Amino acid sequence: MSPEAGLYVHVPFCRALCPYCDFAVNVASEKRRSRYAELLLTEIALCWGGKFDTLYFGGGTPSLLPAPTLARIGEELSSRGWLSPDCRVFVEANPEDVNEDALVGFREARVSTLSLGIQSLDPESLLFFGRRHTRDEAARAVALAREAGFDTVSIDLIYGIPGETEARLRKDLEDAVALSPDHLSCYQLTVHENTVFGRHTRAGRLEEVSDEGQGSFFRLTHEVLESAGYEAYEVSNFARAPEHRSRHNQKYWRHQPYLGLGPSAHSFDGRARSWNERSFFAWERRLLEGKVPTAGKEELDDRDLLLETLMLRLRTREGVDLEEIATRFGVDLVESNRILIERSLEDGLLTRQGSFLRPTLDGLAVADGLARSFVLSPHQWQTARS
Amino acid sequence: MSSELVRNFCIIAHIDHGKSTLADRLIQKCGAVADREFRDQILDSMDIERERGITIKSNSVSLLYNAKDGKQYQLNLIDTPGHVDFSHEVRRSLMSCDGALILVDASQGVEAQTLANLYVAMEYNLTLLPVINKIDLPAADIDRIREEIDSDLGLDPFEAVPVSAKLGTGIDELLEAIVAKLPPPSGDQETPLKALIFDAQYDSYRGVVVLVRVKDGRIAPGQHIRLMHTDKEYEVEEVGLLQLKRVKTKELVAGTVGYVIANIKAIRDIAMGDTITDAERPASEPLPGYKEAKPVVFSSMYPISTDDYEDLAKALEKLALNDPAITYEKDSSSALGFGFRCGFLGLLHLDVVQERLEREYGLSLLLSAPSVRYRVTLETGEVLLVDNPSLYPDPSRISKAEEPFIKASIMMPERYLGPIMDLCRERRGEKSLFHYLAQGRVELTAELPLAEVLFDFYDRLKTLTQGYGSFDYELLDYRETKIAKVDILVNGEKVDALSQLVHEDKARTRAMHYCEKLAETIPRQQFRIAIQGAIGAKIIARTTINPFRKDVTAKCYGGDITRKRKLLEKQKEGKKRMKMVGAVEIPQAAFIAVLKSDES
Repeated sequence: MSPEAGLYVHVPFCRALCPYCDFAVNVASEKRRSRYAELLLTEIALCWGGKFDTLYFGGGTPSLLPAPTLARIGEELSSRGWLSPDCRVFVEANPEDVNEDALVGFREARVSTLSLGIQSLDPESLLFFGRRHTRDEAARAVALAREAGFDTVSIDLIYGIPGETEARLRKDLEDAVALSPDHLSCYQLTVHENTVFGRHTRAGRLEEVSDEGQGSFFRLTHEVLESAGYEAYEVSNFARAPEHRSRHNQKYWRHQPYLGLGPSAHSFDGRARSWNERSFFAWERRLLEGKVPTAGKEELDDRDLLLETLMLRLRTREGVDLEEIATRFGVDLVESNRILIERSLEDGLLTRQGSFLRPTLDGLAVADGLARSFVLSPHQWQTARS
Repeated sequence: MSSELVRNFCIIAHIDHGKSTLADRLIQKCGAVADREFRDQILDSMDIERERGITIKSNSVSLLYNAKDGKQYQLNLIDTPGHVDFSHEVRRSLMSCDGALILVDASQGVEAQTLANLYVAMEYNLTLLPVINKIDLPAADIDRIREEIDSDLGLDPFEAVPVSAKLGTGIDELLEAIVAKLPPPSGDQETPLKALIFDAQYDSYRGVVVLVRVKDGRIAPGQHIRLMHTDKEYEVEEVGLLQLKRVKTKELVAGTVGYVIANIKAIRDIAMGDTITDAERPASEPLPGYKEAKPVVFSSMYPISTDDYEDLAKALEKLALNDPAITYEKDSSSALGFGFRCGFLGLLHLDVVQERLEREYGLSLLLSAPSVRYRVTLETGEVLLVDNPSLYPDPSRISKAEEPFIKASIMMPERYLGPIMDLCRERRGEKSLFHYLAQGRVELTAELPLAEVLFDFYDRLKTLTQGYGSFDYELLDYRETKIAKVDILVNGEKVDALSQLVHEDKARTRAMHYCEKLAETIPRQQFRIAIQGAIGAKIIARTTINPFRKDVTAKCYGGDITRKRKLLEKQKEGKKRMKMVGAVEIPQAAFIAVLKSDES
C-alpha cells in the first residue's frame, strides 16, 4: 500500500440511536465497549497493515471511548510502524462528551482534528434530531475545543429538515460561523429507509423537502459559508484554509487506498474494495475465531474505477483531471462526451482549467447527474463485459 | 360429385356479429371435426384472431352435408375477414362464391360493414341469404331486424333464417336453406381452365398452397399451368379440398373450391385475384376482378434494441410470405437507428402486423407516426409519391401537394348524428350527407382525408356513439391540400423519428401535443431541456423541462462508494434504452408515449 493511505477505525457505539442515522452502531453496555479495544487490537494483529498518514476514529461516537483507549490503539499502530511521522489523527465527538479532561486526553492521544457532531444550533432542529445537547452546550464545546489547541476544529451540521425555512437555515449557519470553526461539514438531511425517519416518511408523517427546496437550501448554505470565508472543497465540506481540509476524507474522493477496522468498515487497495462484518456480534465472533472479519469484497474493473473516479471527483471543487484519466484508463473522456461537456460548460455546471474539468456550485448541486451522464465506453469495454 | 350438389358461399357480417361462431356450428353440424378436437373459432388459426375476435386471413373449408332430400352436398364455406382494412381479401373471397349469407345481429341490426360488403357481393352477382343471429339475446328484436333487412339491405325479410350460433338453434334450417336457396356453381368443365386465386397459405414443406375457385375447365397434378397476370408457369404437384386439413383429390373441376400446390416458392410470386389457366390450352382472357392490394398507411418500424435489426429483417421477410399486403424497405433514423419503412392496408393491419412481430417473433418495436402517401408535384413538373417525412421535398420546390381522400360511411342510431357530423367537420370532412334507414338509424356519408382517419378516428367514433356507430370506407381520389412537415427539436436538435407530415391547419396542435407528451415523459436532467415543434425554421410550439436543482447525495465516504456506484450503474443501465439527442437522454418510453398517443 502506498504511503499516503488512510486508516479508519469504526467505533460502533452511541448513547442512543439518532432517528436519521443508518450507520452500523448500537447502544452497547460498558462491558461490550471495554471488549471493543481488545478486539480491535486483535484485528490489527490479523490485518496486512501498511503505512498511513491519517488515522480517523469515526462512528458511532468515538468520544464514548475513554481517551486512554484511543491513545493505546494509536500506540499499538505506531509501534508496528504503520503511522507516518506527520500522521494526522481525527476524532468525532459529541458535544456532551467534551470537557477539559476529555480534551486533554485527546491531545495526549495526538488528536489533531476534533470533529463535533453539533448538527444544529437551532433549538427546534435539535429537538427534531433528538440530540442530547443544547445550543449553549454545543457552543461551549466548540469554544473549549478551540482553546485546547487542536490543529482543526470541525463541526457537523444537518440542514433541509421538514418545516425549515431559508431564514432559519441562514440563522443557523450564521450562528455556526460565529463559533469560528476551522472546518464545517454541512449535510443535507437524507432519509434512509431503516431509520426512524424512514418509518415516519413511509407512514406519511414526515415529508421530505422538495427538489426545489433542497436546491435552494444547498445554494444558501454555500453562499453563506463562502461569504464567511469558508471554501467549499466538496459538496458538503467547507474549510477556512486549505490546511483545514480533511486529509482523511479527501482520500476517499481521490481514490486513494484506505484500510478500515471495526464493524462495517470498508477498505480499498486501489483495485478492490472489501468490507467488514456489519454487526458487532459477527465481527467479534470472527475475530475470536482468529479470522479476518471481512464480510465481502469486490474487484473493480477499469470501467467501475472510471465511474467511481467521475462520481467522486465531480463532488470536489478540484474536479476531474482529464490527463490523469487518460493516463490511468487510456480513455479520452472529452472525445466520447463532447456534447455533454460543451453543454455543461455552456450552462455553467463545469469550467475548464488546464486539464481539469471543475464543477461550479451549480455543478456540485447535480454532481450525481453529471457522473451518470458520462459515456464511459471505449466501445471494446462494453463488448468485453457483455 | 356433380356440380349440382356443390354450394360455394361465404358469410358476410359486421365484426362481432358472430360469423366465426356460425362457421363453427356449420362445421360441427356436418361432422367435419370430432367434438373432442373442436375448439372455438376453428377457422381463425392465428392467436391474435382468436383473441381479438377478428378474422384476418380468410380460411376455407369443404363440408359434406346430408340434406333432407337424401342427397349429399358439398358445402364450400369461404371465410372472409370482417374489417375494412382487409376489404381486398373480402373481395377475393366473394369472387370465389356463388352465394353469401348476410349475417345480422338480432340486437345491433345492420351495420356499415355489412352494407359495404353486401354491395360488393351484389357486384359479383351473388345470391344473398339473410341470417339473423343471436336470437337468444334478451335484447334480440327479430321484427325490427326484419324491417332493417327489408329497408336497409333491400332483401326479402321473410327469407331470413333466425339462428343462435352460440346455442346451435336454427342451424338445421339454415343448412337446408343453403341447399335450397343458394345456386349451384355454373361453369363448363370442358372449356379451357380458368381458376381464380383467392387466397394462399404458406407451408414450409410444400411452398405456397394456392386456394382457387375453378370457374371453367379442370385442373389436375402433372398439368402445366400459367398464371395469367404474373405470366409465370408451373407444374401442378397436388390438388385437393380443404376440409380443415388438406385432402388430396384427383382433380378439381369447374365449380369447385380447393387448393393447388405447384412448387411456388413465395406468396410474392403470385397475385391474389389472378387467373390460373392451362399453359398448353390457355383461356383467351383472365377472369375479371384482379385488383392489387395497395398499402395506404405507412410507418417506420425500429427495433427497440438496435441489435434486433437483423431479427426484424428476418421476421418481416417471413411474415410477408403469408401476408403479401405488407410492403417494406430499409429506413434509418439518427435517433432510432436502422429500421424499415412499411406499408399497410390500414391501421388495424398495422396493429396486427406489429403484434404478430412482437408476439410470434419476440421483438420489441417502435413505430413512427403513421402517414398516408402524399402526391407532390414539383415546380419542375415532376410528380413524387411521399409517405416518409424524411423524404419530403423542400417546400420551395413544391408547386402542388395532394392527399388521398376516402368516402366514409357511418351508420348509427339517429341521436348520435350531431356529434358525428361535428367529428367529420373537425376532421376536414366534405360533402356530408345522411339518410334515414329503418327505425331511428342513420347512415352518414362524408368525404374525408385519409390522414384524418389515421388518428384515433375510429376510437372517437366508438366513444361518441357509445359503441353503436359503425364505420366503413373506400378510397376515393387525391385532392389538393396544404401539407406542412412538422419537426420536433430537443435542445435544438431534430428528432427525425418524430417528424411528420400534417395538414397546415393542424400543424400547431399536433406539434404542441408532441411537445407536451415529451415534456411529460422525458425525465428531468441537469440541463434545461427545450422541446420545440417547428415548420422549417419557424417555431410553432414549445415546452421546457426544468433541470434538477439538486441531484447529489450529501455523504460519500468509505462504505458509501460501492453502494453509490452500484446505484449509478443501475441508473446508467436504464439509460441504455435511452436515445441520446444532443446531450439529452430520451427514454424509449417517451417515444412510445408520443407515438402511441392521440390528439384528444
